[in-house]
Amino acid sequence: MPVNGTQNHANALDARGIGKRFGGFWAVQDINLTVRPGERRAILGPNGAGKTSLFNVLTGDLTASAGTVRLFGQDVTREPIHKRIRRGLRRSYQHAHLFEGLTVRETLFLAVAGVQGSWAQVWPLKGSDKRLAEADRLAEVAGLTSFSERAVSELSHGQRRQLEIGIALAENPRVLLLDEPAAGLSPAERPKLSALLMALPQEVTVVLIEHDMEIALQTSESVSVLYNGRMLAEGTPDAIMQNEDVHQVYLGGGYAQ
Amino acid sequence: MKNAPLLAVLLALPLFLNDFWLTQVATRALILGITALSLSFLATYLGVVSFAQAMMAGIAGYTIAYFGPNTVAIGWELPFWLSIPLALVLATLAGALTGLVARRSRGIYAIMITLAIGVAFFYLTRQNYSLFNGWTGFSGVRAPQVFGLNLRAPVPLYLMTLAVAVAALVLVAGFVRSPLGLTIQALRDAPGRVRALGIPALGPIVAAFAFSGFIAGAGGILNVWYNERISSFSVGLGPIIDILIICVIGGLRHPAGAFIGAIAFVLLETFAVDLIDRDRFNTLIGLVLLAIVMLAPNGLQGMAAALVARLRPRAATPKTSI
Repeated sequence: MPVNGTQNHANALDARGIGKRFGGFWAVQDINLTVRPGERRAILGPNGAGKTSLFNVLTGDLTASAGTVRLFGQDVTREPIHKRIRRGLRRSYQHAHLFEGLTVRETLFLAVAGVQGSWAQVWPLKGSDKRLAEADRLAEVAGLTSFSERAVSELSHGQRRQLEIGIALAENPRVLLLDEPAAGLSPAERPKLSALLMALPQEVTVVLIEHDMEIALQTSESVSVLYNGRMLAEGTPDAIMQNEDVHQVYLGGGYAQ
Repeated sequence: MKNAPLLAVLLALPLFLNDFWLTQVATRALILGITALSLSFLATYLGVVSFAQAMMAGIAGYTIAYFGPNTVAIGWELPFWLSIPLALVLATLAGALTGLVARRSRGIYAIMITLAIGVAFFYLTRQNYSLFNGWTGFSGVRAPQVFGLNLRAPVPLYLMTLAVAVAALVLVAGFVRSPLGLTIQALRDAPGRVRALGIPALGPIVAAFAFSGFIAGAGGILNVWYNERISSFSVGLGPIIDILIICVIGGLRHPAGAFIGAIAFVLLETFAVDLIDRDRFNTLIGLVLLAIVMLAPNGLQGMAAALVARLRPRAATPKTSI
């Protein structure tokens, strides 16, 4: 999807020397991450490796202590999250903080209005509003059509994860950062989520944090492994499966067999 | 419209009530309810308890007094069709400013910062003579004559107050269904997540406070016409706490709770003298408040809703939805 004013040949995401420090502790340090437009990238790593901290710096939830973040060639390191959203960046959260008092439809509506910057309307919504139609489309993509009038507080854990994805898909995302979208899902719910991810338009760049190796390797063409806040290895799923270091710290002996 | 029967009863009230009941109870409760609505709107939809609502109402009341007929020879008399919009604009601005100051505050911190604003305004009115006429304030502030209709007379005053109360409720109901109203509710539930949708938090918070200032201003205008006077006592700690008590008694589940609370408050206040000594009103209202907080945290409307739910187990609870 060409967008005016950006360099189309640039990488979708280009992070250089990223560091995030909390007091004296570096959650991530000296991370380089380059993702091509349309690429599907998985980020693996044991708990505490710095995956979510890296995401927070990439999205602007947290400001980087070191390094630069570029989105399609544009330096966004100092931009707040609501501006990066306008550039086509979206994310989902591992721990879903959703709007418990709103319905699914209202939540998805706000996701659409937020990206468009059309949230400041003070008169009531009309049923024929185009943004509501888009919200209904997102509900369908996320498999929540029959729950769209439900309050978010009444949703099951799996439905909340689906809603997270629906929010992230509002208004043609260009780069999608998904933080453990399958976390806490039952084995029966996982294939549904996998299918949802596989069905994303090919031009959308997806970076996925995932503990579930099945989902990670099935949906991604390349893998980055973090360990202790640093980049341990990068490569194709096959190469990562064969990597000795990765076996030592994350997969544990014998996983590939 | 499902509230039509209730509205019909309220419209017909002047036929059944004498002037005492109409003015001292019904009109007064509606005026207090409008000001309390400005707080219950903020508390219900933004999740912030503000103690600055008496200040916003007071700004509107003082504007009407300063720019209207009064007996203290201070101010500049404007026609009512100019002074009313001016009072509403200033109250709205006062709300917006409060929101700007309190934008990062939640819970106890929002209470502290808005209480500081409210009390600071109280001392300002008490010490400033050129605008607020200090301790004594303004008296002889009379509601205008409109098309030969004297709005000071009990029935026109009641009907005007009823019209404003209904308009305020309709306005709130419409506003919370608007995209901005939904954004404000989203901020209540997960502020960080709202920013992650591409929405900066400052605008909606300031808008919510400004809107509550507008509603409080409407209550403030009616209040100064009702009392025909305004002074520092109208914006002091007493009124600040009364507004909160009304909201808690009525309940914060639905904006209409403000009016239920106001009716209960005014009935208690009016008849406390028959039940116990007049000076013991604060003790009485304190005990009522304690009972509500302990036995019915959702206020009188919550109690009523629970009762209805018990009688009709499968009755759907009303909820806001687009």
